[in-house]
Amino acid sequence: MTAHPGTRRLLATWATLMALTVISMVSARLDQGDWQALPLWSAGLVLAATGFKAQRLLMVYLNLRAATPAWRGAFVGLVVLTLALIGGGYLVARLAG
Amino acid sequence: MSGRALPNPGWGPLSALPGNPLMWVLILSELLVFTAFFALYAWQRAADTALFDVSQRELDPLMGGLNTLVLLTSGLCVALAVEATSAERIRRARQWLSASMGLGVGFCVIKVVEYADKLAAGLTPETNAFFGFYYGLTAFHFAHVLFGLGLLALVTWRTSLDNVETAAAFWHLVDLIWILLYPLVYLLR
Repeated sequence: MTAHPGTRRLLATWATLMALTVISMVSARLDQGDWQALPLWSAGLVLAATGFKAQRLLMVYLNLRAATPAWRGAFVGLVVLTLALIGGGYLVARLAG
Repeated sequence: MSGRALPNPGWGPLSALPGNPLMWVLILSELLVFTAFFALYAWQRAADTALFDVSQRELDPLMGGLNTLVLLTSGLCVALAVEATSAERIRRARQWLSASMGLGVGFCVIKVVEYADKLAAGLTPETNAFFGFYYGLTAFHFAHVLFGLGLLALVTWRTSLDNVETAAAFWHLVDLIWILLYPLVYLLR
């Protein structure tokens, strides 16, 4: 039987995910009334927070920490690839625009 | 993992994954599909940045953020349902599953309000490429939420550790996809 994360770890992860979501929203400057392109550091922070959220969700909510390092690496690698594609497309759009 | 028993012996490379191995096949394939869509969106955005920028202003990132918080909390409830089922506290597990479904319905209500607002403003999937992606990506995700709600209802009725773990894994996939979709469509500008 697979060991589950435990209530404390789940609650800590949930708090982390909520905090990172708020950090993403603040980084994206949603408080500003006028629409402006994000500075690159803000966009980087949004993507970094997203990556960390996805990693936490995979490891704790989906309990991938109980799997082998190869599987953990494969899923985290896929998330990193996805974020690289999103970030790359964003960067090209910003630099071209 | 050496020295520890495999969670799913007899499943070859999948035997080292926790929970139902077939659900992991689904998670991996769904992630690949969404990654392809996200890449296509990023490519199209780079090709027509001005159009995407103007269109993105019509979205409400606060609603999207609220939905992220709702869905992540729903994910916590499902994970707690797995814990409760594992401890053979079936009544408590059903309570967590019900809470999770309630939050899932809340996500759907917020999304429908958002769609209604956009449609009332005359913004449809045919308005332009951005709104094609916006409706396409979010509606595909919405369909996953509805399917996940069905699965959660099913395992609330037929509560066993295998069933709850399998439905929970799908629900967390729905969480994971939204976590990636939200910054792409709503935040990065």
